[in-house]
Amino acid sequence: MCEITKEQVYDAIRNVVDPEVGFNLVEMGLIYDVVIDDDCNVKVVMTLSTRGCPLHQMLTQWVKDAVEMRVPGVKNVEIEVVWEPEWNVSMADDNVKKALGAL
Amino acid sequence: MFSVSRDYAPPFGMIAPFFIIGTIFFFVGTVLLLFLDPLHGHFDPMIAGWAHWFLLGFVMMIIFGAMAQLIPVVVEVGHHSVDLYHVIWPLLLIGTLTMVTGFWIAPAVLPYGGLLVLTAMLIYLYDTLMTLKKAENITLTVKTAVAANLFLTTGIVVGFVMTLAIGAGIKVDVSWWLGTHAVLVLGGYVVLTIMGLSLILLPMFGLAHGFDEGPINRAFNLMVGGVILHLVSTLIGFSAGRFLAMLIMLVAIGFYLRQVWLIYKVRARKENDIWARSMFFGYGSLVLAALLAVVSLFGDWENVILASAWFLIMGFVTFLITGHLYKIIPFLVWFERYSPLVGKQKVPMLNEMYPKKMADWEFMLSAAGVVAAGIGILLKYNDLYYGGVALLIVGAGFMLVSVKWMLSFGR
Repeated sequence: MCEITKEQVYDAIRNVVDPEVGFNLVEMGLIYDVVIDDDCNVKVVMTLSTRGCPLHQMLTQWVKDAVEMRVPGVKNVEIEVVWEPEWNVSMADDNVKKALGAL
Repeated sequence: MFSVSRDYAPPFGMIAPFFIIGTIFFFVGTVLLLFLDPLHGHFDPMIAGWAHWFLLGFVMMIIFGAMAQLIPVVVEVGHHSVDLYHVIWPLLLIGTLTMVTGFWIAPAVLPYGGLLVLTAMLIYLYDTLMTLKKAENITLTVKTAVAANLFLTTGIVVGFVMTLAIGAGIKVDVSWWLGTHAVLVLGGYVVLTIMGLSLILLPMFGLAHGFDEGPINRAFNLMVGGVILHLVSTLIGFSAGRFLAMLIMLVAIGFYLRQVWLIYKVRARKENDIWARSMFFGYGSLVLAALLAVVSLFGDWENVILASAWFLIMGFVTFLITGHLYKIIPFLVWFERYSPLVGKQKVPMLNEMYPKKMADWEFMLSAAGVVAAGIGILLKYNDLYYGGVALLIVGAGFMLVSVKWMLSFGR
């Protein structure tokens, strides 16, 4: 039985900041789900704020690295980028919406 | 340790010359406006030389540099042969300088300059088309890139034939083909490229989602149809076809503006930074240019044609480029100097990597200059034109210093 919690994974990803908007990916609402199996393999299901983002490769790599580095006991980390449902600002935390002028 | 995948990203040192040279051409190009007389009309060799200085040395140079970065991102594959960009900018630079010399001083060298520019464009076209060929998802942006590049090549071939007519005496009616050359390069390449890229860049920077893409699809189809109709009408000597083609292209711009409005309405990011303000001014200029173009279709008013071209090139194209430079250059610098440090130390955000006050001055002076000079051209009042140009020169100076500031950030 793996003792890693979803919250640990989310906390690790909070260290990944989108340099264009200045917020971390969790408060942006870009992390859709985290799946942890019994062998401590972690799968992060995430999206990006736009398709064709020049940071696409880097952001997914940073998420993978952040989980591997900051979550003790993790084995393999898989990142799945999905486009459904499409991200929109309503998925972001209120502080993000306020800073963007969307609240 | 954090690692960074760089599969799609061309080296910074390879792209930087495009932005440095382009910005220098922009600044010097605004100074050269002082030596033009709008009352001479668009067939004046001085104006033709300036147009090539500005469109090849600034507009094309920056677009090529931006496309080196953006095309792999858009199609999600690496460049076919990215090293070719090492030879594109020197060829384009020497070709442009030679062509301008041909227009202003020695017409005999014009074909040589044209040949160098044509070679640069063909190399760019080869890499771009081979890269796009690898795309699995054929989006509208991919289609516009293919169409735009084919029009560019056709436009440059037409231009090259015109240089042979001017410099080597080949019998071609230059005044008849001039309009098609401009339509192919400006409408077929520059405007179509901006249409395709804005479908990616406007939602990306404005965080806009869930908008209808119908208008941009109609704009694309009409623009392609209009450019082809203009070319065919020129080939067969059919003036009414050229008139109809201009109308179709204006309708295309109308649909494009509708698309921009739909994206604007749903954007989540409401802050009006230098990028957003540049877009507002650019699209406002496009509306004005289109209205003046409609007026010019129904009369023989040289000042209206020139004013329309002024707002299209100096208002729309220039502000879309300068506005995006405040996004693209910080990103390239950040990617080169800071992305390897992510996770190890605090790295700057992109909006900290451009000089805000200088950018504000650049925007205000340039915008005031474009409006004043444009009104001067329209009213045939040269003092106002030269006054506007003076403001524009100072604005372009701020742009030049801003680009140097951004490129030096963190060095």
